[in-house]
Amino acid sequence: MKIKLELFGASRDFSNKDFLEFDIKEKIEIKDLRKKIINYLDKNFKENDNFKKIVENSVFCSEDNNIIEDNYKIVKNQKIGIIPPIGGG
Amino acid sequence: MLHTKVIDIKKEKIEFSNAEKFITSCKYGASIYFVGTVRDLNNNKKVIGMTYDSHDSMVIKSFKEIYQNSLKKFKFDNQAVFIEHIKGHVLLGEVSILIAVACKHRDQAYELSRFFIEEIKKKTPIWKKEHYENEDSEWLEGNPIQTK
Repeated sequence: MKIKLELFGASRDFSNKDFLEFDIKEKIEIKDLRKKIINYLDKNFKENDNFKKIVENSVFCSEDNNIIEDNYKIVKNQKIGIIPPIGGG
Repeated sequence: MLHTKVIDIKKEKIEFSNAEKFITSCKYGASIYFVGTVRDLNNNKKVIGMTYDSHDSMVIKSFKEIYQNSLKKFKFDNQAVFIEHIKGHVLLGEVSILIAVACKHRDQAYELSRFFIEEIKKKTPIWKKEHYENEDSEWLEGNPIQTK
């Protein structure tokens, strides 16, 4: 299945596009997706600890705009948003 | 009564007149406009502009939840709240957020206005990238979103 990770805020620097795509064989939880993002960053932005910190401090949201917990299971093709630390106003 | 919108600066601007039209009513005796603008100095760096990023649908959801929470918390008889937040590249001094509130009494209006901006800072998924005089730019660190 495909997970499309929509990028916001500081995480937009992870790619030239607005999203990252992950091909996943089995259902995974958000905490596993977090590890996959960090692996992607390790491969593509070696030694950028700031990027990893952003992922560690982010939460995630579902397509229906709910914040989802680390044990939320992704079982089908889905869009997930990454929500880095916020600061509007 | 609530109005919310994320304003894409490429298409439109935050207009005070829209807020005024929305909150003006003889039911209210007090109104307050809170205006956020882009400041010229942050952490000793000269700022020349700001890019705001937003998860639009979650921003609107968050504004509505904050409004519902305000009804429960304050239990004011009547209140009108107008919130617009900018998205995109904003120049120095330009408006990034406008919160206009109207209530029966002034103490209610002050309390409500403060409540909204503080809650938005904690709960609304908006991000800022500062642009500096030396052509550098950086995303501001921010705080983890609060969901409760």
